[in-house]
Amino acid sequence: MEKATVVVIGGGATGLGILRDLSMRGVKALLVEKNDLVNGASSRYHGLLHSGGRYAVKDQEAARECIIENQIMRKIGKSCVEPCGGMFTRLDIDDPAYEELWVKGCSDSGIEATPITLDEAFRLEPRLSRKHVKSAYLVPDAAVDGFRMAWQLIDSSKRYGGQFKTYTEVIGFDSVNGELRGVKVRDQFTGEEYEIACDIAVNAAGGWAGFVGKLAGVEIGVQPDKGTLIAFNQRIVNHVVNRLHKSSDGDIFVPHGSITILGTSSMSVPNPEDTSTSRAEVESLLKIGEETFEDLRDFRILRTFAGSRPLYIPPGGAVGRSASRGFAIVDHEQDGLKGFFTIVGGKFTTYRLMAEKMCNQICAKLGNNTPCRTADEPLVEEVSQEDKDRAKKFFPSYGVNLAATRLGVDRFKKVVERLESEPESRELICECENVTRAEVEEICKDDTSFIVNDVRRRTRIGMGTCQGNFCALRAAAIFADMGVESTAKDSLTRMREFLQGRWKGIRPVLLGRTLRETEMTRSIYELSMNIKGGAPQ
Amino acid sequence: MKTYDVIVIGGGLAGFMAAAVAASRGQKVAVLTYGSGSLPLASGAIDFLNAKAPDAAIKNLPAHHPYKKIASKNIDAAAKFFCDITSQGNLPYVGRLSAQIPIVTAVGTLKYSCLVPESMDASNLADKKKIFVVEIAGLKDFYGAMLVDNLKKYFPDKTFEVTKIDLKLLGGRDITCMDAAQILTDKEQPLANELKALNATADDAIIIPPILGVMGSFSRDVVKTQLKAEIIETTCLPPSPPGLRLQRAFIKYLQKAGVRILENSKVIRGVVEGKKLTGVVVENVVREKVFPARKVILATGGFYSGGIVMRDFDNPREPIFDLPVFFPTGAENWSNQNLFDDKPQGFSMTGILTDANLNPIDENGKVLYENLHVVGANLGGCDKIFERSMGGIAIASAYKGAIL
Amino acid sequence: MSDKTQAIFTGDRCLSCTSCMANCPVMAAIKDYRGPKLVGPAHGRMHFSQEDIETSLEFCSNCKNCDRACPSGVAVSTLNMLRRAEYYKTHKHTQAEDMIAHGERMAKLIRKIPFGATFSNVGMSFGKSLGIFSKLGLAGERDMPAYAATAFKDKFNSIKQTASGKKIVMFTGCFINDNEPQVGEAFIKVMNANGYEVLIDKGFNCCGSPLVVTGYLDEAREHADNNVARILDWKKQGIPVVTPCTSCSLMLKEEYHELFGEDKFHEAAQNVYDAFEFLEILQERGEFNENLKPLNQKLLYHVPCHLKSQAIGLPAQDILEEIDGVKVQTADAGCCGISGNYGFRKDKYEISMKVGAKLFERIKQDDFDKVISDCGTCRMQIHHGTNVKPYHPIEILAKAY
Repeated sequence: MEKATVVVIGGGATGLGILRDLSMRGVKALLVEKNDLVNGASSRYHGLLHSGGRYAVKDQEAARECIIENQIMRKIGKSCVEPCGGMFTRLDIDDPAYEELWVKGCSDSGIEATPITLDEAFRLEPRLSRKHVKSAYLVPDAAVDGFRMAWQLIDSSKRYGGQFKTYTEVIGFDSVNGELRGVKVRDQFTGEEYEIACDIAVNAAGGWAGFVGKLAGVEIGVQPDKGTLIAFNQRIVNHVVNRLHKSSDGDIFVPHGSITILGTSSMSVPNPEDTSTSRAEVESLLKIGEETFEDLRDFRILRTFAGSRPLYIPPGGAVGRSASRGFAIVDHEQDGLKGFFTIVGGKFTTYRLMAEKMCNQICAKLGNNTPCRTADEPLVEEVSQEDKDRAKKFFPSYGVNLAATRLGVDRFKKVVERLESEPESRELICECENVTRAEVEEICKDDTSFIVNDVRRRTRIGMGTCQGNFCALRAAAIFADMGVESTAKDSLTRMREFLQGRWKGIRPVLLGRTLRETEMTRSIYELSMNIKGGAPQ
Repeated sequence: MKTYDVIVIGGGLAGFMAAAVAASRGQKVAVLTYGSGSLPLASGAIDFLNAKAPDAAIKNLPAHHPYKKIASKNIDAAAKFFCDITSQGNLPYVGRLSAQIPIVTAVGTLKYSCLVPESMDASNLADKKKIFVVEIAGLKDFYGAMLVDNLKKYFPDKTFEVTKIDLKLLGGRDITCMDAAQILTDKEQPLANELKALNATADDAIIIPPILGVMGSFSRDVVKTQLKAEIIETTCLPPSPPGLRLQRAFIKYLQKAGVRILENSKVIRGVVEGKKLTGVVVENVVREKVFPARKVILATGGFYSGGIVMRDFDNPREPIFDLPVFFPTGAENWSNQNLFDDKPQGFSMTGILTDANLNPIDENGKVLYENLHVVGANLGGCDKIFERSMGGIAIASAYKGAIL
Repeated sequence: MSDKTQAIFTGDRCLSCTSCMANCPVMAAIKDYRGPKLVGPAHGRMHFSQEDIETSLEFCSNCKNCDRACPSGVAVSTLNMLRRAEYYKTHKHTQAEDMIAHGERMAKLIRKIPFGATFSNVGMSFGKSLGIFSKLGLAGERDMPAYAATAFKDKFNSIKQTASGKKIVMFTGCFINDNEPQVGEAFIKVMNANGYEVLIDKGFNCCGSPLVVTGYLDEAREHADNNVARILDWKKQGIPVVTPCTSCSLMLKEEYHELFGEDKFHEAAQNVYDAFEFLEILQERGEFNENLKPLNQKLLYHVPCHLKSQAIGLPAQDILEEIDGVKVQTADAGCCGISGNYGFRKDKYEISMKVGAKLFERIKQDDFDKVISDCGTCRMQIHHGTNVKPYHPIEILAKAY
């Protein structure tokens, strides 16, 4: 039987943070995730590494945590954080009194908020509404790529012996006399069920924490709170642009690589699997967004997406936007199951701190006195300038840095070697996001790549302008070429699934140029490729 | 300023076809285009309907369907005219409206169509013993392994062989099928030599990506005569050589016929006199210019080509004449849960409704402009992608619009 | 919103459809160029990632076939020119680039020397035969455009005109001014015949087209500011600016605004006309002088790319066909390949000849009396590729008055 000292349930930022922390402290840990990594709120969010400014009035403790963690992440996560900086703008329709409170709140929380002139604001962000914006401040917000961070946490954990299994769902717990013995899991592709023996299990399943708790017979107060976001085709902003008012829907713009993300709404949903988005949600986000950027509707929307924040609801607590963004750790020994913990709530920016606190508690149980080092050691080694310079000759323009931060030192070297020795591997599989065949094949080779979407999340294929029109065929063909048959799917199914995944986010914004792009998708794949494979009846 | 007998707005398949038909009848024609139309994306095959015998199935369509307004005799005549034009451009098409011809797609499925370029006709595949699938070193977007995996499902008993030949394409940008086709034009011999070396017999077929030149069938003729086996081209990702060949065959015909193709000419409105148009207005960067015409054919396409635009939900517009646009209202009718579904997509049925003369009508069925005819993908009422009628409606409506 | 035509805001409209690739004559000629889609709009989304340059950008000739192929209104070629300018912020221009971008400056220098034009023409043919051009990075196969003994602007005052209350300002363009003043004279004759007195404005600079394509964007901007201020001045006086050079008119009407985006460029553009566009407007108003002498001539018309981009129809063909006995047939053979100073670069010469091959072939069929084309560099390329001397359509029209 497989064995680990600790089984971590959930491959979101929190679970991955715990896996890394435990591994660095020498605890044998195994993470299980029922989908691919960061399938929940850790990628389905706006990608903002908070400065804390957003919480400076409402929750200064959270604000302080944010600014500290923000600085730590900038230091340890150079390959997944883009230090673009942030701006808070107050509009004419916003309460000036709040601005005063906010300035004070920032200063009290240790967040540097620098007032700038409107001229400066418009110079930095030319698309800002000249009509509405009345004051502006710079804060140390940043953008963070949830996908890259997740895989870098994995790389870091692996160096210390950490293990993980994706597409492995927890289906039950094994305990004897109120003491946990193991976690029962099912392989999502083969259906095989087996048990992983462990002393401790941590439920870090985010929005799914309640379901996991139920399997262990414990009640957990978690309310999935759906947030909908819109991804635009280009960078509309250079900085994170926040609205300086009481936090609300649709008031954050984050430049995220080649795109811009506008978010977020807040809606309680019964099921965290509900990542549907609707026309009405999109419309309301745009309405608020265009107060800050008047010509917002002239920009091409790529798609929408949604994720569920796992809001912790203590007995009798508030829900929705007024619920605390704080987190809670529950030792379920109190519920009669020794060795089972739940960590829930919190936010992406403070995932490391949450993991540290959780691991302190676990290590205390295990009698492990090793201190936490996750704040000091970078997640991954950075690719050297020398390697990047060497790579330049073979990479597409503007592609070296992105690939280097996506791939990390070892994989980057391998990819560069292939590009060097096999000119054919230089071709772009994704022309919108600049991804070469060598990189796609390198990721395909990983034993964690089962479906095209797994490769997408790690390379960004299919996430740009054409939303998979060209790379769906190429990626499915690469899977066929490389014989990735673990899931016994044929190439047509892979292509369809991949494009269907894109379609889910396109459907609620099926207008304008997004609609034109869709007609192109259909004419290529239905008319030129007959992807459905049928014959005339 | 000279008055044109016919001004065609739009340079896609429907626009070119309409212009060709009008010019063949001795009319003075101009085509105003904005962008190069959707032919560079097209498979090259002309689909009429997803039915075993499209001609018969067309008769059973509901009355609002564009085919019903065009009428069967015009559909037949359009197909004949189309084949005449392409054969004049040495781009022979095969097929008829009473049957479907299979062609091999780039992913290895079979696609069925009524009129297909001779170079893509895969009718005989079923009788072949061995099928060679030829990859070209350095050519993007053609994957033999995937193609064979899928094609095997249709022909489980046949022998397949994937081979890769080197035509020295590497050493530059990524090479698409279009690039390869351009490179091979007038330099076909290296390809012929490599294919000869396969030693394929008359019982075999050779499947290659569509790289046999960008003009007509010239390159294919050079290669074909040197081979015993049948050589069959597949479809491909854009830019698509079979679509480009078709586009060029039309352009050549139109130029010969004295039709003016004026590029970059964005028509913004008509010049209206009562229920007639006397011309159209083109807007360039600085000013407007009127092109007088006795008759106008609107062939600006559907959503893809910008013939219909939609900036806000439930408000699709025809941007030139502001014609009423038929569309399904409400999010639930606008699109299906699945992208590739077993029923039509609502948004794709959006378009302009016409009477039997292809004159645009309003919601009461009243004709808006007597000398404006709407043809091609901006005709509403059916999902032309779903029902595989895109090409057929384009050429048939264009034919009718031009002869009226 | 004037943003709509500023190039940097058009990249977002790209659907990645590849129409531009299917219509790029440079891509068709060589494998090195990655093509308009990738270089302009697609990379436009990636600039954030690092300081970089797409090296194959150098192959774009700015012929604008991509712009016209685009169904979405992306100013692909201008996006390329903006990136090219970025490149030269950190890279030095070669001597050849300096030369071909600054034809106006060169000409002015030469004119200051007595018999400068003669000497320089002799010098240039020596230079060519000695291989000096080739060493400089210029296409040694080509004759450099020969300087006219007297520049058009210097000659201008001596040209007799009928005074008239109706006036236009002629934007001569460098090529007509320095190399083909006879086209300028024909222009005056035609305009006079139509009741217009022609003025020139010695304060105009080169339109800036050669600067833009060679990456001297700041200089081009200075030219634009100067020219536009003057055009607006003339506009105030109700006097239109008319040019017989298609690349100049395209620059003044469209590219200034695409490149620099300010409203003034748009305002000025409204006062600028291509020569035959202007004549056709006169004709529409019933003011065109139709008293034309018959000419028995079959003309083969090469329509310049930069005229096609202007969306003004084919006014030269329509007007010339008003002359009894004139028959105009369009060449329909695509881009001539030279695209301004592109074909003068040594490393682009072959590409430019390959692109032009179809046109040369067409002309060699020899089923016409004269070849005409509105664009000066197109005429040079035709002459070089076929040894047939082409004419500006206005020279033909002038003969009919």
